[in-house]
Amino acid sequence: MNPQTFAIIKISAGVLATIGLYSVLYKETKFYRFWEHLFLGLAAGYGVVAAWKDTLYTDWWVYTFGTAATPTAPATPGHWIWAALLPIGIMGYMVFSKKHNWMSKIPIGIILGLWSGQQVQIWWQTWGPQVYSSMQPIIPTTFSPMARPSTLEVANGQVQTIADSAQLANVQQQLANNLYPTQALTNLIFVVTFISAFSYFIFSFELKNKLMLGVNKLGRWMLMVGFGAIFGSTVMARFALVIDRMSFIVNEWVQTLTQRV
Amino acid sequence: MTFWDKMQKVDRRILYVILVVFVCTGLFIPVKIPVEPDPSSKDFYATVMAIPEGSTVLVQTDWTNSTRGESMGHFENLMRLLMSKKLKFVFYSAADPVAPQVARTVITRINAERKADGLYVYQIGKDYLDLGYFANAEATNTNMGTDLRQAWANRTSKVPEGGEIDIFKTDVLKDIRKIGDCKMMVVVTASASIDIAIQRLANKVPITAMVTGVTGPGVLPFYQSGQVKGIAIGLKGVYDTEYLMANGINIKDGEAKPKVTWAKNSSVDKVAEGKTFARGNQYYGTLHVALVLLILAVILGNVGMFMSRRAARKGGE
Repeated sequence: MNPQTFAIIKISAGVLATIGLYSVLYKETKFYRFWEHLFLGLAAGYGVVAAWKDTLYTDWWVYTFGTAATPTAPATPGHWIWAALLPIGIMGYMVFSKKHNWMSKIPIGIILGLWSGQQVQIWWQTWGPQVYSSMQPIIPTTFSPMARPSTLEVANGQVQTIADSAQLANVQQQLANNLYPTQALTNLIFVVTFISAFSYFIFSFELKNKLMLGVNKLGRWMLMVGFGAIFGSTVMARFALVIDRMSFIVNEWVQTLTQRV
Repeated sequence: MTFWDKMQKVDRRILYVILVVFVCTGLFIPVKIPVEPDPSSKDFYATVMAIPEGSTVLVQTDWTNSTRGESMGHFENLMRLLMSKKLKFVFYSAADPVAPQVARTVITRINAERKADGLYVYQIGKDYLDLGYFANAEATNTNMGTDLRQAWANRTSKVPEGGEIDIFKTDVLKDIRKIGDCKMMVVVTASASIDIAIQRLANKVPITAMVTGVTGPGVLPFYQSGQVKGIAIGLKGVYDTEYLMANGINIKDGEAKPKVTWAKNSSVDKVAEGKTFARGNQYYGTLHVALVLLILAVILGNVGMFMSRRAARKGGE
């Protein structure tokens, strides 16, 4: 088949699938169902091929049976011990058998054990740096100047790091030793947001103190602001999907067709 | 039934048609909107631009066509950036079997674009490697952190001279012994696979990310704490990257002041070759059209509700 004709058929199928899937906005029909099932079938089929080609073949078959020599690569030996993984893997599918489903607990147990063993380290690597970076100083050590001095300068029409090494070292020394009021204010906003948002989740005892109730209420507001920002970001993401699909039809499809004409 | 009552009961399908018409119209009018790129986008750009020419970068591409609107723009920009900086890269997916194929399509297109511009065309096995899909992101990233050569053992790649050779004998990976030998890892994703990469690899290789608008807010704390060196988030991130590629950071370029200023860093060059404004530029203006439409619908809906209630109250009196 002519490659250009194939390109037109391919992209036209994509357009038809797009319209088919978006037709659910009008009503759920058999037309929509057909494209939905086609999409799921293709994804599942592709997944099976990829699982073999990219995972099972390279990470199990080659280890077990080795490879023959090619003009560009030498032969590699196989190790039959890797074949022991096959029955363990098959045990996972015993979950579908009422009589033998106990066997599926063995591979699940192995996976859970491996996963659990990683969790202490994972927990610390996830949250440790965040806990550390949450400890922010809030009391300024100097009021002259109010804002953080810059390590940049304009030279030859371009913005660059201060060229004079003594001057640069002096500024860097000042930055290391001082907390400037504008920095302290930024840190204070962070710390207040952090503590108030956390205080919202104190459920262990009833809050009666007016100050605590105020902090709790502020925390609720801060969370609302955060959720609002997340919602806004999500709306933009959804719009981006629509825009891209329309671009696919209006630009890519029409362009391919007009090139043909 | 008053006008406002009718407005309250507009069929949602009419709203969809209006949205489609507005979006399609917007696509024909690409506008270069002046923006102040987010600090996270500037950090992302500065981090990539600081990598020495010829170094190897890991690209974990965990997106598919379901988030093409944002992720494809991200991936295209990343490819243009890496190729213009002459960086070698290895791409693979730890989240979705379809993801490598989507990435291959983009690389082919960017290569065709470069060929048309008379620029060097990246070759598999020499300038980049395609490792395909790795099942189980947790195990994949853990293995990569422990022993990269073991984790990627048995993988071969086509080479320009013909045939296939072990990936660690190619120009891309021959000097790489452990993951820390790679200058950066970029995760292009629409899911929590970035969290998994950070948990297992952030202390071994500098990580940057290009994520969707939905995933972005969850990754920002990792950026604040320095676990991620830079992030481009959503369609804004796509446009930010294109804007930075076109204008650089703190580059005056004969104008009174730089288009992008940043107190944190000295100047960062704009990209030396290839396309800069592309998909992000085309979609970003259209996004504004859609957002204006949304805001108008919200205002009209609220005014309508207010007027309907007032009319009902008056009727009751």
